[in-house]
Amino acid sequence: METVSGHASQRKVMKRAQQDTAERAAELLATVAEKRSRAAFSELFSHFAPKLQAYGTRQFGNEQTAMDLVQETMTNVWHKAHLFKPDRGSPSTWIFTIARNIRFDLLRKNKRRKDEISADELWPILSEQNDNLDDDYALDHDVLMQEIKHYYHQLPDAQRIVVEKIYVEGKSQQEVSDSLNIPLGTVKSRTRLALKKLKELIVEHD
Amino acid sequence: MIKAHPSEALLYQYSSGELSCAMSLMVATHIDMCPSCQRVSAEIEQHLCEKHFDEIAAKWDQKQCDDMLAAIFSSESSHPLIHNDPNNMICLQGRRFNLPPTLANNAYRIGDWNHMLGKLWRAPVSIGGVENTNLIYMEPGATVPEHTHKGVEATLVVNGTFSDEYDSYEDGDFIMLDASRKHSPRTVQEDCLTLATLDAPLHFTSGISRLLNPFSSLFFK
Repeated sequence: METVSGHASQRKVMKRAQQDTAERAAELLATVAEKRSRAAFSELFSHFAPKLQAYGTRQFGNEQTAMDLVQETMTNVWHKAHLFKPDRGSPSTWIFTIARNIRFDLLRKNKRRKDEISADELWPILSEQNDNLDDDYALDHDVLMQEIKHYYHQLPDAQRIVVEKIYVEGKSQQEVSDSLNIPLGTVKSRTRLALKKLKELIVEHD
Repeated sequence: MIKAHPSEALLYQYSSGELSCAMSLMVATHIDMCPSCQRVSAEIEQHLCEKHFDEIAAKWDQKQCDDMLAAIFSSESSHPLIHNDPNNMICLQGRRFNLPPTLANNAYRIGDWNHMLGKLWRAPVSIGGVENTNLIYMEPGATVPEHTHKGVEATLVVNGTFSDEYDSYEDGDFIMLDASRKHSPRTVQEDCLTLATLDAPLHFTSGISRLLNPFSSLFFK
């Protein structure tokens, strides 16, 4: 149970040459994704295949399995280049994680039980729906919304209608004043009172 | 605020793909819930990549490249081995729980809920390997009798709060205990859903709960 703070400061600054390679590889991946360019893919291939082969050989101690790893990894790069997200890391890290996943499954292939978890289920980097699941999950988000809704319904109708128009429908205070035919000052005071009341309800409950 | 994290060594093994299926599921689920470990594991992946891809590897000759490229260009795109029906919500005792993405992807592995004893419920998670992995639900006011572990017990709080003699733990906290640590987890006012994996039965250590030892497989399998 160590804490993980301070790790960020250890991050290595990427060397210049590496950065150039990374930029070039990202361009090539984009070209493969958009234009299905075999030339762009061949350039990526000649750069990464030998590295993948070296990784596979060290991991498996077996040339044939190492070559299987190279082929499976680069086949995925060819078909899934559109899933590379430049804002999440470098192209080589992305390709490495694909290889790591294939290794995870290859190591279990022979003794695999049918219920055993696969690398895709742990690291769904090649899943088209990856994004949805990643971004939708927020701790207790639904519960929070439920609770807010609950408090919100405890407001007096006059205040609730004003808050609804401003915060749910996105109207300005002037627009609310016009549409409800009440003075602007009243809209302001109802908003202020409603927010104060909501805050009290939430704090009280905590 | 998550305060109990997997060690960096464990995260490193996880990112290398060296952990067992059960422990990988635990760590992956913690990472879903923990922005700080998301950052660290991304850095570890980058570091692993630099380490494994850094060596000067002999270039391939043209024929070698062309042969494999031909095979790749004529291949079909494959689909990831992932269940198409993620279920990110489970219900128990009138409560609904949000499942983090990794658990949601593996929701089809979660078996039926069984009442264990007292205020404890358990649903097995089948992921292969020698460890036993369960979702454990503790109603408010539940106590697990004091025990040690013959092996390693890892617990991840999915939702709620529980305490033991050492501390109290909340959503996302990841706790690893070995045979040297006795503890008796309990809930007070809040209930708690945890994901737990054990590689050997619990061993109850105090008073009358020792009578449970013959049945400790209840807590294990």
